[in-house]
Amino acid sequence: MSESSASALQLGRPSRQPAVHPENLSLDASCFSSPPVNFLQELPSYRSIARRRTTVHSRDKQSGTLLKSTDSYSSQLEDRIAENLSSQSLRNYALNISEKRRLRDIQETQMKYLSEWDQWKRYSSKSWKRFLEKAREMTTHLELWREDIRSIEGKFGTGIQSYFSFLRFLVLLNLVIFLIIFMLVLLPILLTKYKITNSSFVLIPFKDTDIQCTVYPVSSSGLIYFYSYIIDLLSGTGFLEETSLFYGHYTIDGVKFQNFTYDLPLAYLISTIAYLALSLLWIVKRSVEGFKINLIRSEEHFQSYCNKIFAGWDFCITNRSMADLKHSSLRYELRADLEEERIRQKIAERTSEETIRIYSLRLFLNCIVLAVLGACFYAIYVATVFSQEHMKKEIDKMVFGENLLILYLPSIVITLANFITPMIFAKIIRYEDYSPGFEIRLTILRCVDVMRLATICVLGVHAVSKITSGLSVSLTLFWFQCWETQVGQEMYKLMIFDFIIILAVTLFVDFPRKLLVTYCSSWKLIQCWGQQEFAIPDNVLGIVYGQTICWIGAFFSPLLPAIATLKFIIIFYVKEWSLLYTCRPSPRPFRASNSNFFFLLVLLIGLCLAIIPLTISISRIPSSKACGPFTNFNTTWEVIPKTVSTFPSSLQSFIHGVTSEAFAVPFFMIICLIMFYFIALAGAHKRVVIQLREQLSLESRDKRYLIQKLTEAQRDTRN
Amino acid sequence: MGQCLRYQMHWEDLEEYQALTFLTRNEILCIHDTFLKLCPPGKYYKEATLTMDQVSSLPALRVNPFRDRICRVFSHKGVFSFEDVLGMASVFSEQACPSLKIEYAFRIYDFNENGFIDEEDLQRIILRLLNSDDMSEDLLMDLTNHVLSESDLDNDNMLSFSEFEHAMAKSPDFMNSFRIHFWGC
Repeated sequence: MSESSASALQLGRPSRQPAVHPENLSLDASCFSSPPVNFLQELPSYRSIARRRTTVHSRDKQSGTLLKSTDSYSSQLEDRIAENLSSQSLRNYALNISEKRRLRDIQETQMKYLSEWDQWKRYSSKSWKRFLEKAREMTTHLELWREDIRSIEGKFGTGIQSYFSFLRFLVLLNLVIFLIIFMLVLLPILLTKYKITNSSFVLIPFKDTDIQCTVYPVSSSGLIYFYSYIIDLLSGTGFLEETSLFYGHYTIDGVKFQNFTYDLPLAYLISTIAYLALSLLWIVKRSVEGFKINLIRSEEHFQSYCNKIFAGWDFCITNRSMADLKHSSLRYELRADLEEERIRQKIAERTSEETIRIYSLRLFLNCIVLAVLGACFYAIYVATVFSQEHMKKEIDKMVFGENLLILYLPSIVITLANFITPMIFAKIIRYEDYSPGFEIRLTILRCVDVMRLATICVLGVHAVSKITSGLSVSLTLFWFQCWETQVGQEMYKLMIFDFIIILAVTLFVDFPRKLLVTYCSSWKLIQCWGQQEFAIPDNVLGIVYGQTICWIGAFFSPLLPAIATLKFIIIFYVKEWSLLYTCRPSPRPFRASNSNFFFLLVLLIGLCLAIIPLTISISRIPSSKACGPFTNFNTTWEVIPKTVSTFPSSLQSFIHGVTSEAFAVPFFMIICLIMFYFIALAGAHKRVVIQLREQLSLESRDKRYLIQKLTEAQRDTRN
Repeated sequence: MGQCLRYQMHWEDLEEYQALTFLTRNEILCIHDTFLKLCPPGKYYKEATLTMDQVSSLPALRVNPFRDRICRVFSHKGVFSFEDVLGMASVFSEQACPSLKIEYAFRIYDFNENGFIDEEDLQRIILRLLNSDDMSEDLLMDLTNHVLSESDLDNDNMLSFSEFEHAMAKSPDFMNSFRIHFWGC
């Protein structure tokens, strides 16, 4: 035993600083060597934990299966174990199958001692569990793309697999949104169309509006060239404008059923609110796990060493080359973490003048960033204005290509800006001297929040300004007539263009690049350039952008979620093909847990930024008088107060009370009080946890000291 | 004679395995297939055994840096019976509960099998994970110290099972990465 303690000393005590131990300095260092392991294995604490993990007590002497000796507290243990046996499923035990079989037989014999009621309870709970399992097995068969994602996981690891799971989630989300819109809005219209029910159409109030505002001219027919169909398909004008794709088509005011009238404007508004609320709830539910973990480990870095070393290897990898890549990415990651630790220490040791220099440099660079963003926004605004002004020229007066170019000018400018600004930001951030992890996060933040999603806000602002300003009489009239359809068309164009760009980049950039690398690999330049990396953050930003467009556009163009579903399905297959054949996986690691939380956070930011223009357009901007279901109302939101006024008076007064200030302010104050209570509780728990940890390490030191003394005493008595 | 038939497994056995493991019906049948392909011909599947090398060379385990430890932990007396393979697949399946996975992860990572994950075990884990020849001592010691400072609550330079359990319960990647799909169908 003395050899093992000596060897424990020789392993080299690392210079680990324990938290706060002033007693450290007073006692002798030899007291703190690791005690021999076999001594530790004899301790009652070790034994009881070992027992809890693997074996089970049995006092059933008749079956003769006494697995391990019982404690002296046998009677208490027996009751507890009997309870445990009935509550825990057999599978959760860390035993092999034959031992579990024995355990099951013991359980069945023990059942005899229970009362009728307990027996029936256990039987019913077992059958319920079995039923749940069968149901779960059924649903796994229905899971979309299960095999594809599994094979991607095996070949490329869980980081890339999380991107494809995210894509699948978006497909399902869009499908459900479309189902909501279908049930609430499209189905009654279809019923009307096929004359199954009667319905009343929207009355246009002639009295108080100008006659010009109520007429909505659709593009005239006549001699239409072939390419105009393609332009219409790509931009939503012409023959598409009158279809149910856009808001202007929905002119039904109420659908008469046998007992009641189905109010379509109300249903339209409710469907919008419903799909936004559903998206919010679903995203929050999915991100709860990552968030909970983030809350627990509040004082530690999100990526801890324990996580990387014990859970770092993806056990599901089956591919040799992927395994090598994983090894190298782990090497890179761990080295980068140690490097970051060193940089953080260096930052903590900065002198004050260096700090001032760094902060002033950062301020200057942030101003540059804001200037770049401002320039981009202005360029997008100018492009949108130019495009709108030229949109109504006759088709045959312009050349086909020029027409298309002008139509798509805003989208082109947005895409160019999204392409250039990340490069600029990447150059700038190098001078700002952040730690590498923070650098990555700040770059992504700048690209996501500010660039991609705010461009949509710029479009929204532009739309608002068109209506409220008097740019030109005819243009104002035009917008006032059916601005929702215009916005819907813009969203439709953005979505189609985004889709085309993704397809084009994959087919015309990545594929030739791969061909070049395979067949012309003798050229140095080609070799240096290499194949396209499958960069996860960029791909995620792309699909979040598409989803944000879908959320905003679904109010103005109810069929847009269906188009988005199809688009994401096609993108899944295209990306999968591109991953397998034209890209190589990035050597920079991307962890699954971090990814899931990050993707959902970015999506949530997109949702919040989508809600802003929608709320403005629903509640502030007057609805157009010439088209759509809301021509009888001043704003879209007015439907709700009008519906509430048809309720019985008691319900009305209740609703008025709940939405008044007299209710809202006390409610808000109570919520604040509850929040303060929970914050205080969390703080108290944290303090207790710190105290317990200190106590634990003190106890352990006492234990080692005592074991040391015991070992010496035993040695002395033997000598 | 030759390869055993697929439906040699009785329905009651299938039900029992479903009740005792976390595997679904299809998974059990697929593992049965794979087992029969590898086991010596003519033997009843319940009596046949596979060597550790055969199991190590399954496609699911072939590139795993911890495959020898996995085989050691799940085998009995150096060989795998059919039920051992099922037990192994059950622990690594998606539906397995976290406590079971943590238990077996502890056993796998405990290289010297003394009931604790000490510094020697940690260094061996890191070497297997990084799989490189030019590993400096400093890097190893640094990483070991970081892991211990994060998870060793009682400061004895070793991870007991409770400390490991505590660390893995907080780890966000553990459940995702401690999964193996044993079948190819």
